[in-house]
Amino acid sequence: MARDRALTRRAFTAGLAAPALIGLSCKAGRRIAGGFVFESQERGHRIRDHARFAAPKRTERVPVAIVGGGIGGLSAAWWLEKRGCHDFVLLELEDRAGGNARWGENEVSAYPWAAHYLPVPGKRETLARELCTELGLLKDGVWDERWLCHSPQERLFINGRWQEGIEPQSGLTRDDVEQFRRFEARMGELRASGAFRIPSEDGYAHQNAATRALDGISFAEWMRREGLYSPYLRWYADYATRDDYGASAERVSAWAGVHYFASREPDDKGPLCWPEGNGWIARRLIARLAPHIRGGAMVYHIRPNGRRWQVFTEEVLYDTEAVVFAAPMFLASWLIEPQPPAWPIPYAPWLVANLTLDHWPAEDDSEPAWDNVVYGSPTLGYVVATHQNLGRRPERTVWTFYWALAEGAPAAMRSVLLGGDWAWWSERILNDLERVHADIRACVRRIDIHRLGHAMPSPAPGSMFHPERVRRARPEGTLVYAHSDLSALPLFEEAQYRGVTAAQHVLRLLGRG
Amino acid sequence: MAIALFISVLLIAACGLVYELIAGALASYLLGDSVFQFSTIIGSYLFAMGIGSWLSRFLDRALVSRFIAIELMVGLVGGFSSAILFFAFSVSGGFRFLLYALVMLLGVLVGLEIPLLMRILRARFEFKELVSNVLTFDYLGALGASLIFPIFVVPRLGLVRGALAFGLLNALVALWTMWLFREELAQRLAQRLACGGAIALLGLGLVYGQKLTDTLDASLYADEVILARTTPYQRIVVTKWKDDYRLHLNSHLQFSSRDEYRYHEALVHPGLASLAGAKHALVLGGGDGLAVREMLKYPALESIALVDLDPEMTTLFRTHPLLTKLNANSLNAPRVHIINADAFPWLEKNDGMFDFAVVDFPDPNNYSLGKLYTTAFYRLLKQHIAARGLIVVQSTSPMFARQSYWCIVETLKQAGWRTWPYHAYVPAFGEWGFVLAGQEQWRMPERLPAGLRYLDMKTLPALFDFAPDMGPVAAEPNRLNDQSLVRYYEQEWRAIVH
Repeated sequence: MARDRALTRRAFTAGLAAPALIGLSCKAGRRIAGGFVFESQERGHRIRDHARFAAPKRTERVPVAIVGGGIGGLSAAWWLEKRGCHDFVLLELEDRAGGNARWGENEVSAYPWAAHYLPVPGKRETLARELCTELGLLKDGVWDERWLCHSPQERLFINGRWQEGIEPQSGLTRDDVEQFRRFEARMGELRASGAFRIPSEDGYAHQNAATRALDGISFAEWMRREGLYSPYLRWYADYATRDDYGASAERVSAWAGVHYFASREPDDKGPLCWPEGNGWIARRLIARLAPHIRGGAMVYHIRPNGRRWQVFTEEVLYDTEAVVFAAPMFLASWLIEPQPPAWPIPYAPWLVANLTLDHWPAEDDSEPAWDNVVYGSPTLGYVVATHQNLGRRPERTVWTFYWALAEGAPAAMRSVLLGGDWAWWSERILNDLERVHADIRACVRRIDIHRLGHAMPSPAPGSMFHPERVRRARPEGTLVYAHSDLSALPLFEEAQYRGVTAAQHVLRLLGRG
Repeated sequence: MAIALFISVLLIAACGLVYELIAGALASYLLGDSVFQFSTIIGSYLFAMGIGSWLSRFLDRALVSRFIAIELMVGLVGGFSSAILFFAFSVSGGFRFLLYALVMLLGVLVGLEIPLLMRILRARFEFKELVSNVLTFDYLGALGASLIFPIFVVPRLGLVRGALAFGLLNALVALWTMWLFREELAQRLAQRLACGGAIALLGLGLVYGQKLTDTLDASLYADEVILARTTPYQRIVVTKWKDDYRLHLNSHLQFSSRDEYRYHEALVHPGLASLAGAKHALVLGGGDGLAVREMLKYPALESIALVDLDPEMTTLFRTHPLLTKLNANSLNAPRVHIINADAFPWLEKNDGMFDFAVVDFPDPNNYSLGKLYTTAFYRLLKQHIAARGLIVVQSTSPMFARQSYWCIVETLKQAGWRTWPYHAYVPAFGEWGFVLAGQEQWRMPERLPAGLRYLDMKTLPALFDFAPDMGPVAAEPNRLNDQSLVRYYEQEWRAIVH
């Protein structure tokens, strides 16, 4: 799967890479191996470009087909199983299901390939709590300490040193502090309105003119109108929207920005996290649903056939009563006949890299946290995969490095993402880490990079109340959608909610509701 | 020329005596029992000198060259003797053997010096005069050395550099002799090279020795460092001041040999003496074997499993003569099983059951150590303890880190343990805290093992009384996702240090 490449002097003299490579091979003084992983863009682009696909070899009649094996699809399947419905298949493009909860593993540790944590679900989040209870994370109302993120959770490198927590603490003027206080107070009021909930659907009944108006402007604009201009606060808001939505506060709906800060009321210090990130949950769901999952099954066409549906893969034509479309929403217009209207919400391009370290960089006076963020960096920093180990800090580790390409419009950043080769991206990653770890090049042995062109929905202004989003989010007919895209919020809980809602609708259709 | 040669006698006599004094001082310093050390070292040194004098009869030709060669050898062996012995003491158990081997070697070489010199001078003096002069200068040199050693060498140079300085003196005598007899000597080039090499080596040693003694350790500890080892897990340092040996791990004091019995008696007996039927015990941390020493006072105990992270730590306390003396060789007892593993994952992977467990980890001064004081850890430990069993946790000072101490108590309670907090006064540490915990009612032991120095039936109940300045305070339990203890601990100790 991984296209392996090692940087060598030979590669350099062969003139394979840009001048950036010179920096890497000279400064490094050692080989750093690695490559790109999960490069499925080409398969996806075949659909976009209307390439010819082989006709299915056989037909299978099955009441329900779930298209897509991310958390939306897995949650739909989870709910069908729970309710005694076993007559369905789950079709996944990749060899293994998981979607944005996918994970990898090497001799050092398991590690996430995208989503890496679940905020501790609050009292109202009944579905997430139900799943957590089944997985043994929540027992008699107490969260299992084993998988709550161990101390120290987060640190931020600011003004030349590490501080605890990501909210900037050092270098703030009295006015900055006052603005943080005011920001929090405003979020408290908005939280109390009940309009910002998880799942977000629960909050739509509580909208008023003021909260609706938030979707008309960007989060950055909202902050300016509120008189919140502290550069530290602005960085913090920007970090939050880049982290959760893959876009800067200028490109994110103020409604979504507020949702980030006003939606959660956790009942314990979290988040929940695991070496393989949300892969920990995904692998348990996959194990339970294994008989239904068809890996490597690329759906290239979905069309009605009388009152039934035909779902085409190159192996099998599935003849079904109902379809749960749990793939990213932008794919619907390419796959489904009749073609639904174009999906209105943009997608953020991301880069996720897993760095395998032979030893830790030197630290003065700070302990590595789970999440390590650098103030002023365009990246989101790194998460330590071995953080939840119970023993002492192991000698070797894996860091998952996150970078939402949020410096420009998504389409432009997508071509940057796909334009850079492995050596160029590795160099940029190491350069960024060198701000805080001067000796990082001597520590890293391997860099594996995952490029996600359409990593997540990026809730631009106007997304939340867009009629097409609202239409698709409401289950109707025998083809239902199930994906966090429907909420325009790339959250585990949203994907789960949409999956379960779709499954409930399908159960009603089949007369089992 | 005559006077020059007699001054050589004086110098080599002084050097010979200094090496002997250094060996004796170093041995009594490191091993204690100075009468025994000095007596055996002087005895074997003199005996070896006798062997040297006897061997001198087999040297017939080129006496001056031989004398120069012997001077250089004495200079090198004697000069580096103390550095070699210090190094040997800190890295292996073969210290005694090396000590006497070096003393014998030096004795033989020094024993050769005077007979050779007398034969070299025989042609130039009358026998009566020769014997009189040589012995006079010999004894004068001895007097000088014995005065200069305690007054100047030890306080100013220290044992390592003192030896090197006298080694250099030997080498200079060789150089001088070479010059005096320059017309009689063949092979002058080889001799000059050897001489230059020895002087350079000793000179370098003297300069570098300064740096060695100025290392971080020496400046960190008030007392002299007698053993230092860096392992993948920690820095182990043993210091000495008079008869007080102290163990430091990562520069945190672990015990002082003068009062550690108070700590370890208090750690083990209140719990273990109350468990009549205890058969299997567990020690987590405690690689020094001192808690195990106390536990071996219970003949009914069938096995003691010691889980300590650092194999070098347990090996050191199993083999080093000084340290096995401190722990009464407890780690070599047949009932004791040493497991070198990380305690938390070890408890998770293994399913052994124990009647009694001693939890003796370093203080929670970072998050990594703090994990070993969490509700998660104590819950896991509970699965390894028999229903009527007990555990005892070393819990930092209720006096200096009061909230940290009561945080540990609260954490144990949250993890479902019943707790009986207590404390003891250990001069090296001050008031020190422990928490006894079990799942059923605990009763004060009815008797204690014989031979305890600190605890008796009268002092025991008093340990469970807390003066108002150490009494319970509110604290959040220490959990993996919110290590309150590490924060309390840092705040409280910082308040004391600054």
